[in-house]
Amino acid sequence: MSLHFSLGLLTLFLLAAIGTPIGYGIITAAVVYLAVGGLDIGLAGEQLLYGLYDSFVLLAVPLFITAANIMNAGTISDRLLQFCVVVVGRFRGGLGHVNVVASLIFSGMSGSAVADAAGIGKLITEMMTRENHYSRGYAAAITAASATIGPIIPPSIPMVLYALVSNASIGYLFLGGILPGLVMGVVLMAMNAYLAGRRGFVLEQPVPLKALPRHTARAFPALLMPAILLYGIYGGVTTPTEAAAVAAAYALLLAGLFYRSLSLAGLYRILVDSARASAAVGLVIGGALILNYMVVAENIPNRLAEAMVGVEVSPLVFLLGGNVLLLLLGCVLDATTIILVIIPLFLPTCRELGIDLVHFGVVAVVNCMIGLITPPYGILLFVINAVTGTPLAEMIREIWAFLGVLLVALLVMILWPDLVLFLPRLLGYRG
Amino acid sequence: MAVLSRWLRHGAEAVAALLLAALFVTFVLQVFSRYVLVNPIGWTVELCLTLWVWIVFWGNAFIVREKDHVTFDMLYLAAGDRLRRVLALISALAIIIALAVSLLPTWDYIDFLRIKRSPTLGIPMRDVFSIYMLFLVAVMVAYAYRVYRVIRYGAPADRHHLNGMDE
Repeated sequence: MSLHFSLGLLTLFLLAAIGTPIGYGIITAAVVYLAVGGLDIGLAGEQLLYGLYDSFVLLAVPLFITAANIMNAGTISDRLLQFCVVVVGRFRGGLGHVNVVASLIFSGMSGSAVADAAGIGKLITEMMTRENHYSRGYAAAITAASATIGPIIPPSIPMVLYALVSNASIGYLFLGGILPGLVMGVVLMAMNAYLAGRRGFVLEQPVPLKALPRHTARAFPALLMPAILLYGIYGGVTTPTEAAAVAAAYALLLAGLFYRSLSLAGLYRILVDSARASAAVGLVIGGALILNYMVVAENIPNRLAEAMVGVEVSPLVFLLGGNVLLLLLGCVLDATTIILVIIPLFLPTCRELGIDLVHFGVVAVVNCMIGLITPPYGILLFVINAVTGTPLAEMIREIWAFLGVLLVALLVMILWPDLVLFLPRLLGYRG
Repeated sequence: MAVLSRWLRHGAEAVAALLLAALFVTFVLQVFSRYVLVNPIGWTVELCLTLWVWIVFWGNAFIVREKDHVTFDMLYLAAGDRLRRVLALISALAIIIALAVSLLPTWDYIDFLRIKRSPTLGIPMRDVFSIYMLFLVAVMVAYAYRVYRVIRYGAPADRHHLNGMDE
């Protein structure tokens, strides 16, 4: 490693550690790298600008963010919840199941765990605690845990980011997430059922099945969304990026015209908030592109790969070790930072060891989403704390059981790649 | 002064909302032209990419607040008032210096691009990327103002990136 590269990295770590925004930290590090190395400092801006301008897939990011905000603003989440209450609300621990099933459906519409927690998560937490049937800690914990499914079942913003750094196909990544997402839902419901039985949660007044058609009709247009998205992408109608636009358009149509729950002023706020969130992420993406330039200029991937040849590491050991490392990082870092900045360092070794990049990508994204609920730093815990007022300590006390089953699900995905790769292969993936 | 800054903020937000709305409409137009009219419009992709670059840099220049950024804030938030103030000042000064150093070399590069035009619309790339210069200057000014605020009122202890829908 050259001196200027080491100084650049040192700058990045120091600045990031003291709370400098990651994007600006990387730009500053790049300036240090270029200046000390006697290179043209204009390269930082060049890499940033061309990187953003060249990546068509990135356009999915602002569009999926907008779609998620539209769905949260309208009554779409509300209708979905009512539908889920009728279907699974009658069992012991019913609202816990509703929570997970609603997240499963919502995850087929939105690509963001935070959107899930802030929208549907807020409503269901209120529902669960309304009559003191569930403690607020339990309600908030299962909400946070089920929100992690959001970006696993397509669409998924983190998978778009992973596709950017790995060049893996977004279409196959999305497909690869479907079964793992369902498995996560199943293990969470199993844990909920177990805890509900052990703690003797009261049964809710069941909604008569007679009401099912009415609630289904109310929610039906929203339920169609995942089907439209999947058909769009895999029916060969739209690219995954265009599907993001279709999702936003459909959400807008539903919320604005069909359900009439969105005003023009509301739409304006959504656009401003979405632009703000997209710009903040865009800066980190741009930073990752600069960092990628530095890493490639220093020939780091090849050296890492060479170093790996001497060491006898089996792919499985590497996957397990890498995942433990990612989990530890997930305790303190944002998923966006991990995917864009840390994961690229793993990829050359993955290629060298013959690990499938779609399998690795799905596992890594699941891992990062679990990182969103691992204390002390878990953005989902903070978001639910912010929207429901549930104290972090109460939430964290209840999160461990759900965290545990999600880790088991992750381990299964690591040990059994077919779980991830079955659907992509079914649709023509050769890997 | 307060009125002026509020108007500026509203104006900046309106521009960002407009850029995003334009991106969205252009995209829908693209899907529509390709699959419904079966006659794809060539310029939509390029316009979308230009709008995306503008959303990122216009946004970060004028509407993204310090607390909206993706940040590792655990140590920063755990620090006491006095230390947090020092950390915030180091961050801000490092950013200001780095951006200032990059200002001229970056302009050299972007200005050079006046000879290069975008493939379908034929806009000089200098104009497409000029937003980056505005971004550099605006961020430097914003962090200079932050230095003043931190010295005068202390460093805020908000948690970062709670409204990010990216994960």
